[in-house]
Amino acid sequence: MPANKKYLTKSPWLRLLKILAGFVGGYIVMMSFHLCLTFVFPKENVIATSFITGYILWAFLLLWAFVAENVWKVWLTYIVLSLLLLTPLLFNLSS
Amino acid sequence: MNLRRYNIYFHTHTISGIIICALLYVIFFAGSFSFFRDEISAWQKSSSYEANREVVKRDYNFLLDSLSGSYNLKGRDFSFYLKRNSFGTYVDMSTSNDTTVSKKPEVKKEGRRRGRGREKNEDSAYFTYDFAKRQTSDYTQSYDMGEFLYRLHFLAQLNQVPINIGTPFGYLVAGLVSFLFLFALITGLFLHWDKIKSNFFTFRPWNKWKTVWTDIHTALGVIGFPFQFMFAVTGVVLIVNFILLTPYSKILYKGDEAKIYQDLAYNDASTFAYTYKPLNKDFDLTRFVTDVENRWSGAEVSRVLVKNYQDENMHVIVEAKPSPKENFAGSGKLVYRVKDGKIVSEKSANTESSYIDHIKALVYHLHFGDFGGKPIRVIYFVLGVMGCVVIISGILIWLLARDKNNVPAYKRKFNFWTANIFMAVCLSMLPVTAFTFIMLKVLDNPMQSDIYHWYFYSWLVLSLYFIARRSIALTNKQSVFLSIVLCMLVPIANGIFGGNWIWVSFQADAFDILTIDILFILLSLTSLFVYLKIRKKQDKK
Repeated sequence: MPANKKYLTKSPWLRLLKILAGFVGGYIVMMSFHLCLTFVFPKENVIATSFITGYILWAFLLLWAFVAENVWKVWLTYIVLSLLLLTPLLFNLSS
Repeated sequence: MNLRRYNIYFHTHTISGIIICALLYVIFFAGSFSFFRDEISAWQKSSSYEANREVVKRDYNFLLDSLSGSYNLKGRDFSFYLKRNSFGTYVDMSTSNDTTVSKKPEVKKEGRRRGRGREKNEDSAYFTYDFAKRQTSDYTQSYDMGEFLYRLHFLAQLNQVPINIGTPFGYLVAGLVSFLFLFALITGLFLHWDKIKSNFFTFRPWNKWKTVWTDIHTALGVIGFPFQFMFAVTGVVLIVNFILLTPYSKILYKGDEAKIYQDLAYNDASTFAYTYKPLNKDFDLTRFVTDVENRWSGAEVSRVLVKNYQDENMHVIVEAKPSPKENFAGSGKLVYRVKDGKIVSEKSANTESSYIDHIKALVYHLHFGDFGGKPIRVIYFVLGVMGCVVIISGILIWLLARDKNNVPAYKRKFNFWTANIFMAVCLSMLPVTAFTFIMLKVLDNPMQSDIYHWYFYSWLVLSLYFIARRSIALTNKQSVFLSIVLCMLVPIANGIFGGNWIWVSFQADAFDILTIDILFILLSLTSLFVYLKIRKKQDKK
């Protein structure tokens, strides 16, 4: 039997928002996370590590966008997380 | 388990799976054969590397001498990219750094770059050279079935599609499929998590078809999971890593792409000044490369770069990959100044390896399965074919789960046609591959266009035939039958048209050619076994 429709998102707009949150939001969070790490570790090592961790992290962030009960919460979380992780970088650019 | 989550995993797994299944099957199928890429090349050209490894010497001096017949070599840069397990090498010859020698490059109109083709002005050259036969050929002449299947497994042939989004279309599709595959693997694992132990030992082949497919899908999926997960990740890295590298180079390197590639040791951007003074010294390149190879025992030279040929500031750079037994991760590099015979810098292939070397070695070795000789590649092949089975069973579950009376007729029609087309395209791949292998031997000196025509047209015809017959059972049965016959004909064609009967190859120690013959015999026998099982099942009914 296919999955029970009762538990799936019905509105196509909400569904689109989820897919976008997972793909785009997840990507930005993943990138920000690794960019943040470059302030602690040598950047070329972080880049090389992200070849493996980056895509896995992105896939999980994509999944979470579907699993979460409220898609707006996902968007909020991803935006706040990205901003937090990018703060050192923004400081670095302005100085 | 939380019912809501279970259904979400279920649905995302189904949707991502059905979107990618047909392309993923092509990738897995062609990829599995690509583990024997070098053997396939040797098979097609009837030129065994393994039988002649000790005999043929890579004679760079001879190549340079013969080139000097048609070019003035003074002041040029040369790059030799050696093919692995083969006597072939790609040669890239630049225009001379000496402006009195080099012709002025003609101003060409900026054309669209396609695939590997490069814009070159006429005085430079890019070609393939065979050290065993001592002859040069251009890319399309040296193109072979090994290269074809290898490139098919990352959909390079789709690059011809004129959709330009900044990156070759085929690679982008392959990358997207690979990433969705990663996603489908994760959701599949979560979906199956609660029953992972209990269902692992469940196999009910005498039950109704849907349970058979489900059991195959989950059991093989769980066994192959680590292998497939590794392939999904390394596959994305190898094909669309620009997704990560572009923002890194924009943000961390201020857009300097050359710098990031140098930091990651992909490319060497160092330049050597041209002095306009001739080099008053003879230099034996062949011997030098052999010496370097002996310096790092077991290592294989992968690249030889010659800078400023015959100038006082001539340099030679040799790069080598260590034998995985000596050093799993590592890369050797030696820079040598010819004038005073000084080694400017050396990074041994066997002892030193950086963190980046480790990561890259992990990605490459795991993906190519080249760290343990033929046994590892055979295991990889079997696991790859298992991946194909998981995909096929997935399509069938998808169809059977929706083939019910409460599903509206138009939806059932759509579902059937989707599965019908997917199955026709996927299952005709094995007979078509075997057929093309036979044609390679029948044709005299097949080139790139021949391989394209025979493979893609026969694939199209057979798929259309199966689609038109509108029966998945028939597709299955007939494609298996064709596979028995055509796979068995592959070694026979090799004997009749190439003279390489199995026993001849065996006696000549041409084990690479033999590998392909035996592979197809085994595929034929497996198909026979499957065919007999199908017949038995039918007779019972």
